[in-house]
Amino acid sequence: MASMMQPQIILLKEGTDTSQGKPQLISNINACVAVADVVRTTLGPRGMDKLIHDDKGNTTISNDGATIMKLLDIVHPAAKILVDIAKSQDSEVGDGTTTVVLLAGEFLKEAQPFIEDGVHPQNLIRSYRTASYLAIEKIKELAVSIEGKSLEEKKRLLAKCAATTLSSKLIGGEKEFFATMAVDAVLAIGAEDRLNMIGMKKVPGGTMRDSFLVNGVAFKKTFSYAGFEQQPKKFLNPKILLLNIELELKSEKENAEIRLSDPLQYQSIVDAEWNIIYDKLDKCVKSGAKVVLSRLAIGDLATQYFADRDIFCAGRVAEEDLHRVAAAAGGTVQTTVNNVIDEVLGTCDIFEEKQVGNERFNIFSGCPSGRTATIVLRGGADQFIEEAERSLHDAIMIVRRALKNSSVVSGGGAIDMEISRYLRQHARTIAGKSQLFINSYAKALEVIPRQLCDNAGFDATDVLNKLRQKHALPSGEGAPYGVDINTGGIADSFANFVWEPAVIKLNAINAATEAACLVLSVDETVKNPKSESAQGDAATMGGRGRGRGGYGGRGMRRR
Amino acid sequence: MSLAFDEFGRPFFIIREQERKTRLRGLDAQKANISAGKAVARILRTSLGPKGMDKMLQSPDGEVTITNDGATILEQMDVDNQIAKLMVELSRSQDYEIGDGTTGVVVMAGALLEEAQKLLERGIHPIRVAEGYELASRIAFEHLESIAHKFEFSCANEEPLIRTCMTTLSSKIVNRCKRSLAEIAVKAVLAVADLERRDVNLDLIKVEGKVGGKLEDTELIYGIIVDKDMSHPQMPKQIEDAHIAILTCPFEPPKPKTKHKVDIDTVEKFQTLRQQEQKYFDDMVQKCKDVGATLVICQWGFDDEANHLLMHRNLPAVRWVGGVELELIAIATGGRIVPRFQELTTEKLGKAGLVREKAFGTTKDRMIYIEHCANSRAVTIFIRGGNKMMIEETKRSIHDALCVARNLIRNNSIVYGGGSAEISCSIAVEAAADKYPGVEQYAIRAFADALDAIPMALAENSGLQPIETLSAVKSQQIKEKNNCCGIDCNDVGTNDMREQNVFETLIGKQQQILLATQVVKMILKIDDVISPSEY
Repeated sequence: MASMMQPQIILLKEGTDTSQGKPQLISNINACVAVADVVRTTLGPRGMDKLIHDDKGNTTISNDGATIMKLLDIVHPAAKILVDIAKSQDSEVGDGTTTVVLLAGEFLKEAQPFIEDGVHPQNLIRSYRTASYLAIEKIKELAVSIEGKSLEEKKRLLAKCAATTLSSKLIGGEKEFFATMAVDAVLAIGAEDRLNMIGMKKVPGGTMRDSFLVNGVAFKKTFSYAGFEQQPKKFLNPKILLLNIELELKSEKENAEIRLSDPLQYQSIVDAEWNIIYDKLDKCVKSGAKVVLSRLAIGDLATQYFADRDIFCAGRVAEEDLHRVAAAAGGTVQTTVNNVIDEVLGTCDIFEEKQVGNERFNIFSGCPSGRTATIVLRGGADQFIEEAERSLHDAIMIVRRALKNSSVVSGGGAIDMEISRYLRQHARTIAGKSQLFINSYAKALEVIPRQLCDNAGFDATDVLNKLRQKHALPSGEGAPYGVDINTGGIADSFANFVWEPAVIKLNAINAATEAACLVLSVDETVKNPKSESAQGDAATMGGRGRGRGGYGGRGMRRR
Repeated sequence: MSLAFDEFGRPFFIIREQERKTRLRGLDAQKANISAGKAVARILRTSLGPKGMDKMLQSPDGEVTITNDGATILEQMDVDNQIAKLMVELSRSQDYEIGDGTTGVVVMAGALLEEAQKLLERGIHPIRVAEGYELASRIAFEHLESIAHKFEFSCANEEPLIRTCMTTLSSKIVNRCKRSLAEIAVKAVLAVADLERRDVNLDLIKVEGKVGGKLEDTELIYGIIVDKDMSHPQMPKQIEDAHIAILTCPFEPPKPKTKHKVDIDTVEKFQTLRQQEQKYFDDMVQKCKDVGATLVICQWGFDDEANHLLMHRNLPAVRWVGGVELELIAIATGGRIVPRFQELTTEKLGKAGLVREKAFGTTKDRMIYIEHCANSRAVTIFIRGGNKMMIEETKRSIHDALCVARNLIRNNSIVYGGGSAEISCSIAVEAAADKYPGVEQYAIRAFADALDAIPMALAENSGLQPIETLSAVKSQQIKEKNNCCGIDCNDVGTNDMREQNVFETLIGKQQQILLATQVVKMILKIDDVISPSEY
């Protein structure tokens, strides 16, 4: 009785929302499954797109899991984990973002009944980890290496991988066209790991088939002054001077002031200023360069000066474009025009100003170092080109990854079915609860082929049973069989060139398992009340930190 | 929105401001999107063809535009729906790439969406519809190539080019002088075209308009017109064999860009300064005189003192000429733009056979004509018309005609107009459909039906019986194996578009089909629309 009289200890600030225990775990799982449901329909070649329209009036039409997750603006703490794994998949391998979210959602869904039945989450976690370890070993075993093939053949194989990625996208109709483009672009930049050397320019208008790859650099005509049209627009083997200075008549020092006591000196000051700019221009001309690019403005005076001397110039070139030109043409960006030696000048085979759609483009092609590529994308609408860019980005990442870890697995759900079969088989050798959990993990993996069928409108159960039968053949010849998206049956994915780099699957399974385990290990959420005043800002910061520490930390301690 | 429930069965928020967002998904989303797209197409449908009607659009600040040009209509309509915006962009990209056929492409997309809706209702997967459309568009694309005619033209024989431009112009309000406008457009394009590179820079064609006069007075000037007058009313109004100094520096004492201050402490110093300034003017004018300039065109202004001096020295001048015009003048007259008086030399002067100032009607408006230039690679089309709206519409129509002429120089293949190409494609696609197994077959057939929408709209707008006319023409095409049969919109009495001389460019048509298919695919592929419900 005495203990009941004790004053209540208020541990947390008023309004703090805490929930804990099993119901909390279940509700976290529900939230994750709900999020996974959102991206579910975008999987596979028959996957649909989402149109997301935000408050600012921007519209995005996308099929890319990571993009959708990002735009959904998820606030639920557990569901945010899924957003993070989609992002990490995107930055790590570039594709398979929908897959990873879907897998994580499915792992959790499978775990739910066990949790409801009172299984300790840590048991589940342990089994899931084992299963993922086994799955990864199996993928490594099944992967086919394309190492050691000739360049031509490698190119063909890489294009297949890119085509598989692209088939689910809006530009799927032209997947061969874009796959080859992606492969060419990646091979053009060579072994270097600088992805920003592949430029993508978007020009509305035209059809997607009008897109083209420039083996060099292309950028939109910059703002020009009068006299620009009188400059020549095409050069063969020009020398290119890259600058980072202004070529304009301007005051040399911002804060300087000239005091004249004699009006006769006036002219000399004017002349001095003109001489400075003329001197700069003269040095540019003397360097022998035929194309002058600058990151800063090239004024009208300079434009006309160059026009008189048959030199092409462009001012206010975007920095990344300038760096690409530097890398491609082999020059270096100069911050002064003094002592311009031949070594810092770049060159290329052809420089030309060309009309692309409604814009004029400066195109440098046939560059000696050849370490850059620019893709000019065309399409009927802005959103279309945006989506094409995202898709092509995925394809480029895939090709890059496949080039580095050159092993592929068969797609179309074949690899997932095979792992699933392997895990089931393995589960039978285990005594104890773990058997059930690994079995459910195996079942969760089947979500990929199932969803492929669902999205295409096929009878998923039927197809899945056919696949299970094929994969269960003792000879193992059924291993590469996956969903045939065209007929609604099953087909040998490997023979049909539905390939994915093994690294996508490895990363997806790893990340999805990690995420599922993380969600399972949480049993309490402490949510601080929203701060009301500016003064409360700092309090929230601290509070949030504590909250986060709280739910991670507590879960760990009770292990 | 997808909801999840917590342990007490209450829904909880996963997405920020979930309650304020609306979400449409599945077939509902597709149907909503399709009807938005169709609504846009319906607006444009009546402006298709030679008997198509115009739209009057009023902007928020009261400006009125009357036009028949699809891209312009959609641009001014300021649509809010996302799918409708896609249609606007579709029309715009046709405008960017081809410049003509902006109405047709939207009508085509609308028809494709309409057909798709029927298929969706029958339970066909939207992506399979889209894929079928893509297959069909490729068939149509190739078919167009096979029925296209190459035609030869040269600078001497511009008749075919004129005919094609006339087809474009016939649907516009200016069609009563389509012949003369088409001639002007073709001559202008040929004047600036680089026939070897097959490249035309339309920037070199300046289109200038002035209210007053009549449409027939529209003319092509091998030179430049500047909407300015001589800086001094007493300057000569006509200069023959003009040597033009093109300046980007003002007639005033030069100022250093750096901040400066002149200390004047005595009267003498002030006098010197004063004299120096006068001397500057004097020197500048003298310099122009010395190199032999008989006309000065200046980007900047100059004050009355300089103006007076120029007048005295008998050196006519034009001030405040815009940068773009200055450039065109430089190109046309073969001169160089001079940024500084010290740089002025005889070689840098532009030459023009005749420069004259022309007054219009009773108004005080005057313009300067620079004609008979050394290099006629820059031309001006000068449009006259009864009112501003008319001139604006004529400008747009001329732009379309110029684009058509340019496209023909790029690729000299043509197809016949009046819906004949669409009908022919429709027949070809229909025939090819049977070869495809699977659901796509239905989509391909639907595509063929959608192709009929353009001739159908043409017939409808011309007051003909749409279905009867279309079926008659279609059967005629098949019977006579003549793919030039189209809709006789102008009631000439023949269906053969070869005899009617109705041509369209091949690339324009191909682009229409591909673009429309592409956008329709994009719309069909969306099954989920998430938007803030506020608007």
